[in-house]
Amino acid sequence: MERKAPKRSADPAGVEMLEIAEQGNLDSVWERLEAQQPQCGYGQLGTCCRICVMGPCRIDPVGEGPTRGVCGATADTIVARNLARMAAVGASSHSDHGRKVALTLKGVAEGKVTDYRITDTEKLTAVAAKLGIAVEGRPLPEVAGDVAHVALECFGKQDDEPIAFLRAYMPAKRFERLKKLEDDLLASTGARYGLLPRGIDRESVDILHRTHFGCDADPLSLVLQSVRCSLADGWGGSLIATELQDILFGTPRVKTVRANLGVLEEDMVNLIVHGHEPILSEKVVEHALSDEMQQKARDKGAKGINVAGLCCTGNEVLMRQGVNVAGNELHSELVIMTGAVEAMVVDVQCIYPALADLAACYHTKLITTSEQTKIPGALHIQFEEHRADEVARRIVETAIDAFEARNQGRVYIPPQSEEAVVGFSVEEILKALGGTVAPLVKVIADGAIKGVVGIVGCNNVKVRQDAFHRELTAELIARDILVIGTGCWAIAAAKAGLMQLSTREQAGPGLKAVCEQLGIPPVIHMGSCVDCSRMLVLAGALADHLGVDVDALPLVGSAPEWTTEKAVAIGTYFVGTGVPVHLWPVPPVLGSPAVTKILTEDAKGVLGGYFFVEEDPRAAADRMEAIIAEKRAGLGL
Amino acid sequence: MRKIFVDYTRCVACKGCEIACAVEHHPSRSLVGLVGDARTQVNVRVLAVEHEAFPVSCRHCDPAWCMDACPAGAIARDPDTGAVILDPARCKACGMCAMVCPFDAISFKVTHASPDGRETAYKCDLCVHRVREGRLPACVEACHSGALAFREHAELRRDRATRNLREYLLGERAMPETFALFRELRRREFARRREPAP
Repeated sequence: MERKAPKRSADPAGVEMLEIAEQGNLDSVWERLEAQQPQCGYGQLGTCCRICVMGPCRIDPVGEGPTRGVCGATADTIVARNLARMAAVGASSHSDHGRKVALTLKGVAEGKVTDYRITDTEKLTAVAAKLGIAVEGRPLPEVAGDVAHVALECFGKQDDEPIAFLRAYMPAKRFERLKKLEDDLLASTGARYGLLPRGIDRESVDILHRTHFGCDADPLSLVLQSVRCSLADGWGGSLIATELQDILFGTPRVKTVRANLGVLEEDMVNLIVHGHEPILSEKVVEHALSDEMQQKARDKGAKGINVAGLCCTGNEVLMRQGVNVAGNELHSELVIMTGAVEAMVVDVQCIYPALADLAACYHTKLITTSEQTKIPGALHIQFEEHRADEVARRIVETAIDAFEARNQGRVYIPPQSEEAVVGFSVEEILKALGGTVAPLVKVIADGAIKGVVGIVGCNNVKVRQDAFHRELTAELIARDILVIGTGCWAIAAAKAGLMQLSTREQAGPGLKAVCEQLGIPPVIHMGSCVDCSRMLVLAGALADHLGVDVDALPLVGSAPEWTTEKAVAIGTYFVGTGVPVHLWPVPPVLGSPAVTKILTEDAKGVLGGYFFVEEDPRAAADRMEAIIAEKRAGLGL
Repeated sequence: MRKIFVDYTRCVACKGCEIACAVEHHPSRSLVGLVGDARTQVNVRVLAVEHEAFPVSCRHCDPAWCMDACPAGAIARDPDTGAVILDPARCKACGMCAMVCPFDAISFKVTHASPDGRETAYKCDLCVHRVREGRLPACVEACHSGALAFREHAELRRDRATRNLREYLLGERAMPETFALFRELRRREFARRREPAP
């Protein structure tokens, strides 16, 4: 019989677990994809409109049926509206995460939240200084309160000025370019198009409003608002999440962890933290490692408690606490199938509802904690910042209690795990460079490093798990292109052993020499998906150092196995910042030739950034190398 | 010869045909009425064959394998439309019709037409009640992309030949470029899945 598993995952641990799933006839995301075939082409092409109840309407891509919806919306309008809504949902998800961090910081500053504290005072003063908040001679809680206030104002202020975080962090030339673009469009068309975000919440609400029945029908206007909303995420919500989490939990420092299912321990209570926010998981880690809880686990016959991460919650505690990571999104079912997981505690985003039924086949407790993510069949333990310690203790105890019910006969933990050097915040990168970006600029100018590609996450079950991530990354470093990134890509790269210092042996000679000199791997883990903001900040630092706009720099972005609406927002804020972005699979836009052209061609002239689609890792690397060569030529390198 | 013809290159796999068929054959004649009703009859199924989607239903053959094979005499031809019609009241659910059908277009379950609450065969009836009124079968009416056509074959052949010739002779694309790209990308996606694992 033909083996399905090796076609479904490029990760050997994934393949082993998929074979176990197949033997046990266990349902999985791969099986459900097969069961969903054929998937509706209108949805894939973006030409299905469900916005009003005169519909649903579909514009036939073959040109046989009606070319307009009941209201008269064309394929161009429908595709652009649907895309805008994707960007709004993605931006809202990241930004709402950021809001919670800002509220927690405010609570800590006011003394109302006592379970957390300001961990990184250096970062606090740096962020405050950047925002123009006086630091000298003031008590730190007061400064933290002001930082939280400025952050929260970015969400809810009502004037038309650009938000403070974007104003403070966006490189000068990019800000001027976007401002000028707004002015030029007004002058040439008489109509107002906005690109600079006025409020983080406002830009998402704006999209919900303008895509309501009978509002914006102009594809260009809808795409530009999608850019504005996404910029409110990248230079707003996500950036606030990253910066304020660093203040609360510490700026990541370089450290070594292990990645893949092999980090589970056969004789310990295994507790998986999954989702996206570190607020709860930081506490879970803290309590799980406490002597008291370790003793409780030993009392139940376990050797102790082992916390491992999954997805971006995994990335958050990996970056700051050095917690090992069990896998990325497509590992979320496989990890339960090991039979060795006592509890999987989840917060928000990218959590399959299917996990509840799967966990019920084992002794595993699936614990939901967020008001925004409740799953039928899961155990809900409500998390609240002001009683974080109490909730975290209860979660750890629930995991310990589940250990006795484990059926050791069903336990199989694949042996694979790879070492990974992680924790590259911008601060750590600058430290490695000696305090400024100048040495990085120099090695790029010399040609030792041709350019930088930032790759971001997701797995997508339609793509062989991690295959694109692995092949593209290996292909790029061999061409002397430094690879940085976040999210599920970062976990894929770590699992593939690409984040070791020895990975430099696979790099081209120039990149290898730079890595040896700086003591870094050629593949850099910058954090969770909200930490894509770290990549923006790094790009901004390079641009400001050279006094150019971001689109002049030899930088390319990529989301080669993307799945979520958050990825739409990330891709779009990269494009809006001036970075060309590779995507695979194809986003649901092909139903509109006009929108496809705006995104892949017209954007280049207007924003400097644009999208391109490529299905083959090597061909994608070719295209990226060509873009980098073009940018280098533009800089006279 | 008038039949339902399938142009699978135009099938978008929206399954609008399945829904329209289910509503048409449900006693309530409404989408709301059939939700959650296991006896709902769906006579057409959009099947995935690699990257292609194909709406499969009875081809109304003449002579029909199923009609020849049915020992109960439950399958007969409608004289007006030529449709092959299955009478659930006579069906003994022996399964002969399903075994001989080259298109696997016959299924079994308790439908609203099944007598005594027992499982019987069911299949496409070509919506003869609609066709007699000069209307299209429900699935064909529901198809937006032109994948389903209920026409005389001679007409269909002429139109297809002309369309294809316009492409060969005049370079006119029969299919919009982005849709052709979409199809090509799907073809490659499934081709990759066929490749042996590295």
